[in-house]
Amino acid sequence: MSHSHVMAGLDPAILARTAVLARFLSTTTGRVLARLILALILLATWEYQPSADLRFWMSGPVEIVARLWSWILDGLLWDNVGATLLAMALGYTIGTAAGIALGLLFGLMPRLYRVLSPYIAALYAMPKIALAPLFVIVFGIGIQSKVALVAITVFFLVLNSTLDGVRNVDRDLTRALALMGATRLEVIAKVLVPATLPWIFTGMRIAVRYAFTNTLLAELIASNSGIGFMIEYYSGVFDATGTYAAILVLVIMSVGLTELLTQVEARMSHGN
Amino acid sequence: MPRGDLAPKISLAGVGKAFVTRDRAVEALQPIDLTILDHEFVALVGPSGCGKSTILNLIAGLLQPSGGVVSYDGVAVSELNRQVGYMTQKDTLLPWRTAADNIRIALELKCRAVPRAEAAARVAQMIDLVGLTGFERHYPAELSGGMRKRVALARTLIYEPETLLMDEPFGALDAQLKLLMLDQLQELTRQRRMTVVFVTHDLGEAITLADRVVVFSARPGRIRTIRSVDLPRPRDVFRIRFTEDFSHLHESLWDELKDEVARGTDV
Repeated sequence: MSHSHVMAGLDPAILARTAVLARFLSTTTGRVLARLILALILLATWEYQPSADLRFWMSGPVEIVARLWSWILDGLLWDNVGATLLAMALGYTIGTAAGIALGLLFGLMPRLYRVLSPYIAALYAMPKIALAPLFVIVFGIGIQSKVALVAITVFFLVLNSTLDGVRNVDRDLTRALALMGATRLEVIAKVLVPATLPWIFTGMRIAVRYAFTNTLLAELIASNSGIGFMIEYYSGVFDATGTYAAILVLVIMSVGLTELLTQVEARMSHGN
Repeated sequence: MPRGDLAPKISLAGVGKAFVTRDRAVEALQPIDLTILDHEFVALVGPSGCGKSTILNLIAGLLQPSGGVVSYDGVAVSELNRQVGYMTQKDTLLPWRTAADNIRIALELKCRAVPRAEAAARVAQMIDLVGLTGFERHYPAELSGGMRKRVALARTLIYEPETLLMDEPFGALDAQLKLLMLDQLQELTRQRRMTVVFVTHDLGEAITLADRVVVFSARPGRIRTIRSVDLPRPRDVFRIRFTEDFSHLHESLWDELKDEVARGTDV
């Protein structure tokens, strides 16, 4: 009622057309079509904009895709995507393993943790990226410095969530098992670890994105391979086409990673 | 009369407990003396906050007394007392284990490792006993409060500890189910000759099951009276409450208890 009232001043023919459009956009085909049209307009504007100056800084879609295709053909793409993923996976694995191990250890030795906690808190609070230049000096610009940065970032995230988990274990549960005659090891295996697992998984899930970002940052700062290195290299030589092509690869990787995580999370919450 | 053997199993001599909160000491239990005999079923009744649960925690070694000595089999309890099976007021089921897996846990421990097949058979028997058939694979979060209590009961009974400490185990059950459980508990503890310390606020439940009923005063707790229940065993838990002896006992114990309950609820 009030709807038609507000719209009363408008031409009924326009109103009718708006309604048809709204209905069309609410169908899947309509949405996909609208997205394609939007992309085409943007890409066409980018490709056919007349300024040569802008062309230098912005390149154009056709050139970028052609560059990407040439990288696929000569293997440059796979080498660098591989380098990024390898550094990320290694750092993530090392950081996760160390974080879980030390988190459980500190959880079991609260006095030791209380002694060390100010240092751990300080290191946790510090943006780890500040260590990147140091790692480059110590480990060089190869894969080690990237792995080190990723590992230390992931380590503190997983350590903290593991510690939170251990500290949140219901003491009544551990005491109940001890009363039944469970040894210390049995209490750890049957209560502490299973009760902490969800916290560990949460930490690991969050850490994936941090691992990806930090691999990239390490590559941007100083390295000799990886997608971050490509972005840094091509922008360093004022090659806009190469820079955008590398960024395009990065976008595809991020979307892929996010999609993968969503799948894993959905499966995990289903299993519980 | 306590059944047969007169050897003391648990003794509390001048045992008191005060809790320090901030700078104030709160006396939960005034110094009491209490001896529980081997194979005896003792019920502790009293208003809430009278220190009944504190006594169980002391016997289990979860707490140390502020004064006096708690001994078990003649030895002072100075650490966790692993001779007892303790069914606390709050069920301590592991949320990531199904009902059956929770019940089985004591049989997985090294100190009494039981072969898989035997463990499965005993779990099935327990599930049947507490009336949870069909709920074996449910997680604690999917069970009602009463069902969780029954899982906790089965988990405690399955490893047949020589002494059972029970803190209001049947509080969350409906009347019919409670009677069934009382019947099963009487049967099991008699069969396995367990010593039982049973905390409840239900006087009828206490008289139905116990050899002796200990009535506590309101906080700070102390023993007001101890009464032997001379009803013959085995008792018919479904009908005993309609007998004359039961009514007499109930009446006289209720006279003791009702002032305390009135005082207890004031606080």
